Amino acid sequence: MTGAPSLLWLLSPRLLAARGALRRGRTKPLLLAAMAGAFWVGCFLFFERTLAYFQTIAALGPVLTERLLVLLFASSFAVLALSNLVTALSTFYGAPEVSVLLAAPLGARRVHQVRFIETLAASSWMVLLFGLPAFVAYGIVHGAGPVFYLATVATLLPFLVIPAALGVLAATGIVLVFSAQRAREVLLVVSVTLAAGAYLAIRLLRPESLASPSGLAGFAAFLGDVGAPSPWLPTTWAAEVLIPLLGVRAGEPLFHLGLLASTAAVLYLGSAAVVERVFLRAWSRAQEGRTGDGRERRLSRWLPILTAPLPRPAGLLLAKDLTVFLRDAGQWSQLVVLLALVVIYVYNFAVLPIDDGSPLGAAMREFAALLNLGLSAFVTTAVAARFVYPAPSLEGRTWWVLRTAPIPLGAIWWSKFAIAFVPLAVLGETLVAATNRFLGVAPGLTAVFMVTLLLVIAAVVSLGIAFGAAHPRFDAKNPAQIATSFGAVLYMILCLGLIAVVVALEAWPVSRLFWHRMARGPVAAGESALIATAFGAVALVTALAFALGRRRGLRHLAALQA
Amino acid sequence: MIRFVGLRKEYGPTVAVAGLDFTIEQGRVFGFIGPNGAGKTTTIRMMMGLLAPTAGSVLLGGHDIGREPEAAKAITGYLPDHPFLYDKLTGGEFLRFVGGLYGLGGGELERRSAELLAGFGLAERAAELTETYSHGMKQRLALAAALVHRPRILVLDEPLVGIDPQGVVALRGRLAELSAHGVTIFLSTHSLNVAEALCDRIGILDRGRLVALGSLAELRTRAAAQVDPAGGDGSLESVFLAITSPASAPADGS
Repeated sequence: MTGAPSLLWLLSPRLLAARGALRRGRTKPLLLAAMAGAFWVGCFLFFERTLAYFQTIAALGPVLTERLLVLLFASSFAVLALSNLVTALSTFYGAPEVSVLLAAPLGARRVHQVRFIETLAASSWMVLLFGLPAFVAYGIVHGAGPVFYLATVATLLPFLVIPAALGVLAATGIVLVFSAQRAREVLLVVSVTLAAGAYLAIRLLRPESLASPSGLAGFAAFLGDVGAPSPWLPTTWAAEVLIPLLGVRAGEPLFHLGLLASTAAVLYLGSAAVVERVFLRAWSRAQEGRTGDGRERRLSRWLPILTAPLPRPAGLLLAKDLTVFLRDAGQWSQLVVLLALVVIYVYNFAVLPIDDGSPLGAAMREFAALLNLGLSAFVTTAVAARFVYPAPSLEGRTWWVLRTAPIPLGAIWWSKFAIAFVPLAVLGETLVAATNRFLGVAPGLTAVFMVTLLLVIAAVVSLGIAFGAAHPRFDAKNPAQIATSFGAVLYMILCLGLIAVVVALEAWPVSRLFWHRMARGPVAAGESALIATAFGAVALVTALAFALGRRRGLRHLAALQA
Repeated sequence: MIRFVGLRKEYGPTVAVAGLDFTIEQGRVFGFIGPNGAGKTTTIRMMMGLLAPTAGSVLLGGHDIGREPEAAKAITGYLPDHPFLYDKLTGGEFLRFVGGLYGLGGGELERRSAELLAGFGLAERAAELTETYSHGMKQRLALAAALVHRPRILVLDEPLVGIDPQGVVALRGRLAELSAHGVTIFLSTHSLNVAEALCDRIGILDRGRLVALGSLAELRTRAAAQVDPAGGDGSLESVFLAITSPASAPADGS
């Protein structure tokens, strides 16, 4: 008999799966790399510009440089702590492969090692990747040598281990008190709400003002107002390792690195000791399912009554889809993000500085309204990609229930369409109506844009069902994975093309109507016919997209196999 | 009650089901057996309108599943081999949802659901989400759903997988009772004991072809006339092994 398998052997399923995913999809990694590259450049430029500006402030410059670094470490730590907690709940107490590890002749210590590394990697890679441009900017602006970069790596390692160990400890404690399912749901909602809140806060702080020197000065004043960092926090120790190496001021980098490393080691060993002691109990507790509580019984009682007036298949499917949606925190929590998105969208138009009362201002307003039509359609499409496109995949394995029932496929399609179309139409129409009101667009033109958007949304929903059924992902663990798949990208590209065509077709008649109104002259009969033709073309294009989507949707739904 | 007319399914060059032609009379329990990959599930999926055949058709109660799918499905109950249920619905909600799909409603649906939940030993856990159910419980709930509309035909794909011995005994009793009430049962199974105990007629599918069809006595006679590598004792198992052994395959290998 050979000895216990090595750590690398135990991690190999994850490594092989990652390698396989990279080999299978060539387009997606390239696209992601391009997006990450763009983010890197933007991030680097922000830090480089800010740090260079700080150097021009004689007395306060070093303090601000230091505060920004502490802020960077502190914000990363907050994200890492939450991310590790959510990931640890899954990797230690939710993943099905844990039962394989438990059944194998492995000690609890080895199980902890494997799961800890997976938790650390899954939670930290994004923070690490997107944090690096900031450290590179620090090094370049301050002309730091190789020791700074080596010290950065040496600092980051224990810095990442600390929140991972805390996350594992907290996850174990939570699982022992609640069931893993309920704990995951609560944490998911909390993290999504925090992310949406941060997104809102960043936008409402008007980051575009940082592009001006006065804006940067305001940011510097904000940093100056932040209190001195506490000497007891790992975020301060991490900054204290790097500050002296940048030449900002003297310090004790080795002492602080030692503090950081020893804290990481103690917390890692502490998490190992706790997990070794209680793992089986916590794992067993995590397997306990969720039972129907009062909220579920209420939903079960009211939804059938509310949907009773609807035709039978539509009412039944709506009640079922709403029940499933409202009981899945991974699904409904996305509404929080959507709400933040809508608030920011409307806010952007509220602060758009275009109305100065001049003829040019009026023209700009009409142009912005047209752009608004395109953007509202884009926002609605993005929401459709998240909620409509994954619907066939989510139905997938239970598709047999509907397909073997005596309901025509066409009726199922109409139900799915209506369930998606109504909320999306409400969202899109609200966006156009509210933002056009801020822009001061004439009610007649707003009505035209609202009708246009309704047609576009009908086509987008129809295409969403078709593409979702043509590229099903039954293996996806959550709808977000489905919404970022290759088929979803194709769907988004097609919808964007459709929106571009619609906006282009409406641009000419809108501009003609505008100039006639400005000139206070009547529209010639020939021109009226052309304008009517342009609007007719919009109706035709969207109707064709809708019909094509429905035809292909029905075909792919008929062939849908889990 | 169930009629197969030249039913065939091809996947490119692979022939999954090679032309089935046979009839099952009302109230019979038909056992559909065959080795893994023989084409049993493909046949059942075509029967239920989940898969389009390359050629041929299936008539359920006189209704062609391809041409009159709603009429055919309205009189048929189906239990798939892996009954995935809606995780976020409770057992009671799932049963009522399926009943609604078949046109039941109001007090009748409530009574029927309660009766089936009690009959399948699920009443106490009817208010729990199905994601908390064991495989056997899910199987029982899916079977209850297949019966909710009192079907005239019941199509069961491996109904015994994952069910405990008590469950198997109960299921056998229930199927016998349904058959006595005139329900036609199409039962695909690996459990030859159950097929032997329950089925009036048995069809053996091998490599997409129906290689044997008849009562157990008829199949025994046929197996005795063929090479019997298992040294047959007359059980369905030895008949099955004799008929599906490579030695009994057609000479052209098709």
